[in-house]
Amino acid sequence: MAISGGGFQRKSKASDQIPSSSLADIAFLLLIFFMVTTVFRKETERNIEWPDAAATQQIDEKRQNIMYVWVEQSGQVFINDRPVAMSDVSSLVAPAWAESGRRLRISLRADARVPYRYIDAVQQEIKDAGAIYVVFATDLERQMQRVRR
Amino acid sequence: MLNKKQKVSDEIPSSSMADIAFLLLIFFLVTTVFPKDRGLPIVLPEAQDEVEVSQRNILHIDIMPNGTVQLRRGDSQNTSTVSPRDIEGIWRIEVAQNPNLIAAVKTHPDAQHRYMIQVLDGLQMAGAERIALQMLEG
Repeated sequence: MAISGGGFQRKSKASDQIPSSSLADIAFLLLIFFMVTTVFRKETERNIEWPDAAATQQIDEKRQNIMYVWVEQSGQVFINDRPVAMSDVSSLVAPAWAESGRRLRISLRADARVPYRYIDAVQQEIKDAGAIYVVFATDLERQMQRVRR
Repeated sequence: MLNKKQKVSDEIPSSSMADIAFLLLIFFLVTTVFPKDRGLPIVLPEAQDEVEVSQRNILHIDIMPNGTVQLRRGDSQNTSTVSPRDIEGIWRIEVAQNPNLIAAVKTHPDAQHRYMIQVLDGLQMAGAERIALQMLEG
């Protein structure tokens, strides 16, 4: 009968369990890694005052199919962090609309105080580009606030 | 004398720390709401589909520069001035009388964007779906 280990009694000092004490460190490392690498938005926030609306709803579309058009109080339009002349809006929207396969949502982020003539002009430009889905970006207004006013 | 051997460990159990961390991770993943991806959706009419609508089925909603709203039914000459806050109730009453009603929202070019949003908000709260946005001429 063969003796296992060639007759020597070998005593292993290594534990046969997976070390679980470092698992927490791994988890926290992952947490911190994703926190650091997450890019929230490609463009910077413009300083605008959001209009309030109680009927505010989430845009039911992927972020890549949402195009943000900012209208500042002065009526200046910004797309992708760049100021855009009103007449150039449709030439920027049209390729995005074609690329998205008619799913593009235009999130119109207009300042609450901007005169309506600019909003109407932007709408015309969007219409000329062929896009039809527009979302007027608003802040959710709570019913409580409404009563107080 | 009985020798009592203490079996309770005097260390904080670290094996559940990973579970806690992952739980936190998942909690924040789920609860994160990306701000401002929301608003009042509207579908613009496409260029080709212009349809004739009977004046009877139109409710003219004119928004003035000071934020007041002038209401006029398509088939009458009477206008009434209301507050944007009343639009929701008015629409509910009007649409009960005429289910085919269309809201023609015309905003004065000098009126602030917020007043148009208030009216649109009221209409959408009342469940209106057929809304036309235009600029007030003249």
